[in-house]
Amino acid sequence: MDFKKLLRRNETALIIAIVLLSVIIGAKSPEFYSLANLFDIFRSSFVQLLFALGVLVVIISGGIDVSFPVVGIFSGYSAVVLMKHFDWNPGNVSLPIALAIVIGVILGALNSIAIASFGIPTLIATLGTSGIFRGIMLTFIGSSFISDIPAALDKFATADLLKIQPAEGTLARLHVLIIPVVIITILVSLMLNRTMFGRSVYALGGGVEATRRLGISIKRTQAKVYMFVGGISGLAGILYVSLQRKANPYDLYGSELDIIAAVVLGGASIMGGYGTVFGTVLGVLLISLIKGNLILLGVSGSWQRAAIGALLLIGITVQAINESKKAKNRRVSTSDEVAG
Amino acid sequence: MSTLLTAEYGVENIVKSFGGAKALSGVSLSVKSGEVHCIAGENGSGKSTLIKIMSGVHAPDTGLIRLGDKSFTKLSPREAVHEGVQVIFQDFSLLPNLSVAENIAIPTYISENSRFFSKSKTKEIAANALDLIGVDIDINASVTDISIASKQLIAIARATNQGVKMLFMDEPTTALTRKEIKHLFEVVEQLKERGVATIFVSHKIDEIQEICNTITILRNGEVVADGIMRDFKRDSISEAMTGLNVSETRIAPPLKKASTKVIEVRNLITKPTFLDISFSIAPGEILGITGLLGSGRTELAEAIFGQYPIDSGEVIVEGESIRLNSSPAALKAGIGYVPPDRLTQGLFLEQSILRNLVAVGVDQYQSRGKRLSKKRLAEAGEKWIKDLRIKTKNSLNPVTSLSGGNQQRVVLAKWLAMNPKLMILNGPTVGVDIGSKREILEIIRDRAQEGMGFLVVSDDIPELIQICHRVLVIKNGQISKEFNESELDEEVLYKELS
Amino acid sequence: MNERFNKINSGLLADRKVTQLMVITAGTFAIFSLVSRDIFFSSANFTSMAYQIPEIAILSIAVMLSMLTGGIDLSIVAISNAAALVAAWIMTTKMGESETLSYSWIIIACVVGTLVGLAAGAVNSIIIARLDVTPILATLATGTLFNGIAIGITDGVSVSGLPENFMRVGNGTFLGIPTPFVLMVVIALAVGYFINRTTLGLKVFLVGTNRKAAQYSVMGDRKVIAWIYLISALLSSLAGLIIASRTSAASPDFGSSYILLAIVVVVLGGINPNGGFGTITGVILATAVLQMVSSGFNALRFSQFFYLAAQGAVLVFVMILNVVLERRRVSRSISKSLRS
Repeated sequence: MDFKKLLRRNETALIIAIVLLSVIIGAKSPEFYSLANLFDIFRSSFVQLLFALGVLVVIISGGIDVSFPVVGIFSGYSAVVLMKHFDWNPGNVSLPIALAIVIGVILGALNSIAIASFGIPTLIATLGTSGIFRGIMLTFIGSSFISDIPAALDKFATADLLKIQPAEGTLARLHVLIIPVVIITILVSLMLNRTMFGRSVYALGGGVEATRRLGISIKRTQAKVYMFVGGISGLAGILYVSLQRKANPYDLYGSELDIIAAVVLGGASIMGGYGTVFGTVLGVLLISLIKGNLILLGVSGSWQRAAIGALLLIGITVQAINESKKAKNRRVSTSDEVAG
Repeated sequence: MSTLLTAEYGVENIVKSFGGAKALSGVSLSVKSGEVHCIAGENGSGKSTLIKIMSGVHAPDTGLIRLGDKSFTKLSPREAVHEGVQVIFQDFSLLPNLSVAENIAIPTYISENSRFFSKSKTKEIAANALDLIGVDIDINASVTDISIASKQLIAIARATNQGVKMLFMDEPTTALTRKEIKHLFEVVEQLKERGVATIFVSHKIDEIQEICNTITILRNGEVVADGIMRDFKRDSISEAMTGLNVSETRIAPPLKKASTKVIEVRNLITKPTFLDISFSIAPGEILGITGLLGSGRTELAEAIFGQYPIDSGEVIVEGESIRLNSSPAALKAGIGYVPPDRLTQGLFLEQSILRNLVAVGVDQYQSRGKRLSKKRLAEAGEKWIKDLRIKTKNSLNPVTSLSGGNQQRVVLAKWLAMNPKLMILNGPTVGVDIGSKREILEIIRDRAQEGMGFLVVSDDIPELIQICHRVLVIKNGQISKEFNESELDEEVLYKELS
Repeated sequence: MNERFNKINSGLLADRKVTQLMVITAGTFAIFSLVSRDIFFSSANFTSMAYQIPEIAILSIAVMLSMLTGGIDLSIVAISNAAALVAAWIMTTKMGESETLSYSWIIIACVVGTLVGLAAGAVNSIIIARLDVTPILATLATGTLFNGIAIGITDGVSVSGLPENFMRVGNGTFLGIPTPFVLMVVIALAVGYFINRTTLGLKVFLVGTNRKAAQYSVMGDRKVIAWIYLISALLSSLAGLIIASRTSAASPDFGSSYILLAIVVVVLGGINPNGGFGTITGVILATAVLQMVSSGFNALRFSQFFYLAAQGAVLVFVMILNVVLERRRVSRSISKSLRS
C-alpha cells in the first residue's frame, strides 16, 4: 500500500508539473492555449508514446533496451524500401504497418536470443545489436533519404479525425492516430495488469530467483519482452515515417534518451519491478511539452537536450533518494534471510 | 483419491557437484502421499541442494527424480509446479513488488496454465489459501511492509494451496514462536489428511520427532540412516547427523577476573527492531546471543558494527564512547565483524585467497606513497594460511577453490589480521563440516585466552553452549533472559527461545 | 618447487585472455596485410593508426576503470568534448587574429578544460557513489546534460582554428614517435601502476567483485567508486584535448560513436562487465585490433557503417563466447569431479 501511495504521489507530481508548466508557458505566450497547439502536442507524442510503452515493459522486467530507435527506423525504412522495390501501392496503410511490425519483431527476436538465451547484460547486448542493425541498414538496405514514400503512407500523414477552425487563429487538426494510440495504450495496460505475461514481467523485475521458483520461465518471459519491444518499435517507426512524409535512415538514432527519460520520470523504477502505463503517458506528455515549447518560454531550442538531461537526472535522483529513505524507514532487515 | 494415496515421490541415486565440490553423492529417498518425511542433517549436509533438485531449481548431474508415476532426469521449476511440487524456501522467495494476494495466487494461475489474470480471482484465491491454514493477513498489503513471521505464513499459504501434491518445508520454524509452530503443525496434519506428501527439513530434533513419520538423515551429501521415526532415538539422530558421539563438550576457557570491559553497550534503541538493549563483555569473554529469525539478533550485531542504524544509545569500547552508525569508527575502535553469509557478504569469490585475506586492512600493506608492498602482502598471506591451517597449495588460487570450512577461515583471518579487541561473529560455523567447526571454535577459544572479547550470534544452540561464557536470548528486540555459565542447558535455552 | 610451478601456472592462466588477444591481434594484422598489401601494409597507414589509436585507447581505459568497479561510464564522450570546448574557447579568444598562442596560455587553457571535465566527473561521483543511482542511468543522464549544456552554449557550432603550436602536440612526434602515442603509453603505464601497485587499485578490484563484502570489510567502497569516476573524467578530458589538438577543432557533437567503440574495446579486452577483472594490456591490444579493422575496412573501401555493424557484432560475439566458454568450464569441472 505504501508503494501505491508513493506511485500516486509520483503521478500527482507529474500532473502538477505539467499544469504548472502550462500555466507558465501560457502566461508568457497566450497562443499556447489554443486547440491547435494541444493537438500538435498530441501529434508529436504519438510515436514517442508507442516507443515509451515498449521501453516501459523492458524497464519493469529489470532490463534496459537502447536499440529500440534503431529497430524503429530500420523497420520503417526497410518497409518503405521493400514496397518501392516491389512496387506495392496498396490503398491503405495496413500493409506497411504489418511489414514494419514483422521486421521489428524479428529484430527484437535477435535481442531475445542474445539476452534470454545467452544471458548477456541487457545494456551491452542492445548496444551491440543497435550497432549491428544500424550498420546493416545503412550498408545493405540503403543510406539515402526517400522523399516519395508510398502514397498510402503519405496520405495518412494528413488523415485528420477532426478539423476545427476557431474564430481566429490557426486550424486545429486532430490526427486520426489518436484512436489507435489510445487503444494500444489501454491494451498495454491490460496486458501488464490482466495477463499472466504482464504479471510475470513485474515478477521478473522484482527478483529473478524468486520468479524462477514460482514456476515462471525466465527465458520465455524475457524473450517475449524483447520481441514485444521490437514489434511496438516497428509500429512506431513506420508511423514516424508516415507522419514525417519521408523515410530518412539517419533519423531517430540517438533519441533513446528522451524516451527512457519519459518512462523513468513516469515512475518506472530503473531497478525493475515498478512502473505504470499512466505514469508513462504523463512522462511522455511532459517531455513533449518541454521539447515543443521551450521557445515559447524564451529559451533557445538548442537547450532542449540539456533540459531533458536535467529532467532525467532529477527523476532518477529523486527515485534514489526515495528508495534510500524507504529502506531506512522499513528497518526490518532482510539480512537474516539467508538460504541454507 | 486412491491414486493419491498410493503415489510415491522421491529421488534415486542423485549426484550433484558445484564446481568440483560434491554436494550430493548418490542420494535416494522416497515419501508416500499422506506421509510426513523428515530430512535431517547439519548445515552443509546437502539438504538444501536436494530440495532444489527435486523442485527443479538445480539439475542433478546424474540420477532420477520420481514424482508419482512420472520420472525425470532433469526438471524445470515450471514442470515441478505442474506436477504439484511446492517448496517453502527458507528465504520465503516472495516478490517485494507484488501484493500479498499476488504472491499467494500466482502459482495457482501457473498450474492452471491460464493466460489471464484477474484481480478479484486473485484475492479470492489468496483469501481461501489463508483461510485454509487459518491465518488472517491483509492480502492487499505490500510484502515489504509485513513482519517476517507473516512472510513465512504467506509462503506456507502459497505452497499449501490447491494442487499441491508434494510439499517441502525448509526449516519452516526458524522465525516462529512456539504458538505459531503449534499452528503450523496443525496445518501439516491437515495436509496429511488431504493426502499431501510432506518433506520436513530441519535440524531441531524435538520438532522432527513430533511431526514426522519417516526420516532420512544426510551427512556430507550421503544418506547415513533412514527408516521409520519410531525406530530412532534422540541421541541416535544427532549422532547420525554429526557423525560424532555427541561429545559436544564445553571448550570455553576459564574466564579470568577482569575489572575492565572490552565493550559496553548502553540502552541501544532502534525502533522497532530493538528497544533498550544493554550488555557488556569482559576481556577474554565469549558472549553468545541467540533469538529467532527476525528477533533482531543480526541487526544488533550489525548495529554495533555500524551497518544497521541506531537511534540512540551508547557503545563504549575500552572506556571510550565511539561514534555510532559508522563502520570506520567501529573498525578504528577495534571491533571486527564476520557477517552471516560468507558467500555474499564475507568473500570476494572469484578473487584470490591472498586478496581475500588482506581485504580489511589493505591500507596496512602500503609503503611510501600509496605503493602496495607485494612482499608484505605475500608474507601476511603465508602467515594466515599457516596460522589458521587453511588448506591450499597456492594463495593465488581463487577462494572458490576452497571448501566451506576453509573459506570461513579466510573470512575469520581477514578480521583477525586487524587484531580487534572485540570480534563479532554472526553464524561463525554456518555451512562448514564438523571437523572445521571444531577447529573454528578452537580458534575462537585460543584468541579469547589471549584476551580478545567475542560476541557470537548464532541459532545453533549446542554451539553456543560449547563455546560461550554467557548467553543472551533476544525476543522482540529485547533481552528476554540472560544465562550464566552454570545455567547453560540445551532444553532450557530452546524453551526460552520460542 | 611445486609451489613455484603453481604460481607460474596460475599467472599464465590469469593472462590467458591477454595471450588470446595477442593471437587475435597478430591474426588481424596478418589478414589485412595480406588482403591489402599496398594500402594497409604501408608506413603511411601505420603512422595514421598510431595517431588514431591513442584517443580511443584513453577513452577505453576510462570505461575500463568504471567497469572494474562493476559500473559503467557513458558520459566519457560528453566530458571529453566539454573539456576540449572550454580549452578551445579560451585559446581562440586569447589568440585573436594571430595563428599561435603563448605556451603559458595554452597550458592555462588545457588546465581549465581539464578542471571543467573533473567537475563533471565530480557530479558523476556524487550521484553514483553518494546517492546510489545505477551508473548506467546516472551517466546516461549526466552525459546528456553535459552534452546538452555544450550544445546550448555553442548553439551546436564547433570551435575551430586552434593555435598552430597547440596542434603540434596532436600531430607532431616525440623522438620519432607520434606524440599522442607517447602520451597514451604514459597514461597506460600510470593507470597500470595505479590499479596494480596501489592500495586504492586493489580496492577497485575488490569493490567490483563484491560490493557488499567490500562494505563489510570497511574499505570505503563509496570513496573508491567516487575516485574512479573522477579518474574516468580526467582521462576523458585528456582524450578530448588530444582530439582537439589533432583535429584543430572542438565540437559538442564530436565522437558520439566512440561510446559504443570504447565498450566494444573494453569487452574485447577481457574486462568483465560485472566488475572485478581485467588488464590494461588487454584494453590496449583490443584497441589495436579494432583500429586495424577500421583501417583495413577503409583500405578495402567498406563503408563506415559496415564498420559500425562489425563493432556491434564483435561485442555480441565476444559476450556470447564468454558465456559459452564459462558454461563449458563449469560442465567440465563437474565431469572432472565425477571421475575423481
